[in-house]
Amino acid sequence: MADSPLSSKNSAAAKRPVVIGLEVHIQLNTKTKLFCPCSTDYIGRTPNTNVCPICLAVPGTLPLLNDLAVALGSRMGLGLHCEIQNYSNFHRKNYFYPDLSKAYQITQYGLTIAVGGYIDIEPEGRPKRVRVHHLHLEEDAGKLVHPTADGRLTGAAYSLVDYNRGGVPLSEIVSEPDMSSPAEARDYVIRLRQLARYLDVSDGEMESGSLRVDANISLSNPDGSLGTRVEIKNMNSLKSLERALEYEISRQNKVLDSGGRIVQETRLWDDAEEVTRSMRSKETASDYRYYPEMDLAPIVITDEQIEDFKRAMPELPWEKRERFAREFGLSGEEVAILTEQKELARYYEETIAAGAPPARAANWVRMEVLRVLNETGTSISDFPLGPSVLAELVKKVESKELSSTIAKDILDTLSREDITLDEAVKRSGASAVRLTGCLLDEVVDRICAANPGVVETIKSGRDKKGGKMKFLQGLVMKETRGQADPSEAAGSLSKKLGA
Amino acid sequence: MARAAQIRLAPEDVDRMMDSINDILSFCALVGDLDCADTPDFTWRMKKLPSRRLDEAGDWADRDRFKSMSPTMEGDFFRVPRIHAED
Repeated sequence: MADSPLSSKNSAAAKRPVVIGLEVHIQLNTKTKLFCPCSTDYIGRTPNTNVCPICLAVPGTLPLLNDLAVALGSRMGLGLHCEIQNYSNFHRKNYFYPDLSKAYQITQYGLTIAVGGYIDIEPEGRPKRVRVHHLHLEEDAGKLVHPTADGRLTGAAYSLVDYNRGGVPLSEIVSEPDMSSPAEARDYVIRLRQLARYLDVSDGEMESGSLRVDANISLSNPDGSLGTRVEIKNMNSLKSLERALEYEISRQNKVLDSGGRIVQETRLWDDAEEVTRSMRSKETASDYRYYPEMDLAPIVITDEQIEDFKRAMPELPWEKRERFAREFGLSGEEVAILTEQKELARYYEETIAAGAPPARAANWVRMEVLRVLNETGTSISDFPLGPSVLAELVKKVESKELSSTIAKDILDTLSREDITLDEAVKRSGASAVRLTGCLLDEVVDRICAANPGVVETIKSGRDKKGGKMKFLQGLVMKETRGQADPSEAAGSLSKKLGA
Repeated sequence: MARAAQIRLAPEDVDRMMDSINDILSFCALVGDLDCADTPDFTWRMKKLPSRRLDEAGDWADRDRFKSMSPTMEGDFFRVPRIHAED
């Protein structure tokens, strides 16, 4: 049953310390499933087409481990500062639910591929280290469809199963309960997703299910001991994760305030109603009757292989952030935006390599390139303006051959039309008339003469916030139709008005 | 042996089971003492199979035939009886 919805404002006033641990499932970037050669490209496919005797558990078949899944799991483990294990194995996790064809899931339990790492987060500028307990490999389950009006299991006379997703490789990353707020949990998932993308381990798309988060949350007791833990599932976006945790903090506080006790259970987040609903009492490990998977050989990773994995590691997000700040003299905020996506960071570096000054290029990528990407809903990989063209554009602004206003228009044009930079410059008319020096001063004189009241306010020192000056600058840019450089226009106005 | 089998034993259980375990080990020792010097090698050896495979896709030609033999299909889905687990 769902409790009545509670606003996030209530939850913000949580009274008891919050303890959150996350289990994050990441779909690994393999072409085939974990134990058979079926394709992992299941989204939009006809049900039960990506299946074979192995993932359908036809008697007599044997699973065979995908080598790339081991490599990707190890790579992710190294990125999380985990220790890669020389020896690990698989277990059978039994449960009676038809989304698994075998009636058990092949997963790692006890001896896992990577143990004991950490990831540094910085929610709202406050740095914190979250420990990672372990990373293990496992197969995904199939998809159940319940033919009821609301699609829920309750009331379904039967169910339908699509095993296209069954057997797709996942790495589950289990954190220690080190997070103490929804914001920290959100930042943890963001950093994890960024790492997975940097390492080409997963696309990390929450909406498509490539990255799924289950949260364990409890409120500490007055004596400081951990309270009863509740697991929350079905959060398919970062916003859902935050809101579900906020709701749950509030709900648990309310239960305890009224003298009740928290039941150990699994609850489902209902995104539409913004509540968590009790799904089932929480299973414990003994309920799953784990036992070793005798159909699969243990995973043996030699020290040499681990060294090979380490040598093949690309530059990690925090390493790139540190280098960008050091090499290009960028601020923390600039670095954070430019390194958020590996592809954007590469675009920025290639722009610099093509001759654009680092600081100016950083502004253009952060402000203008990202603006166009947002407006057009495209990714940097599909951005039609190559880094060398952006570098040329930035250099023209730097040399005052183009005003920044016109250059922005040119960037817009180039992102829409398949023409060269020279053609776009010609079309803008910027090369025909370049208002600078005496020509610009004449425009400034005209604008000042037409606005004596504003000029008087500035000269008398009453334009404290600079709004009047900006107003005049805007008029100059309008008058010159963007053919003046804004900073040059501001300089000419300041000189004339003594401001 | 219990540790190898991942069975957790309380100290009192270890003492209780020691005799049985010693019997098993003694029997293993007897087998180990057998004189096999004149016993010929196996004429066959178990083929060593790879423990991992490359990430290369394959297709299953008999998929549709297999699905057509399933007693309970609905469209392309497998149909399963009512699930009671979460009632």
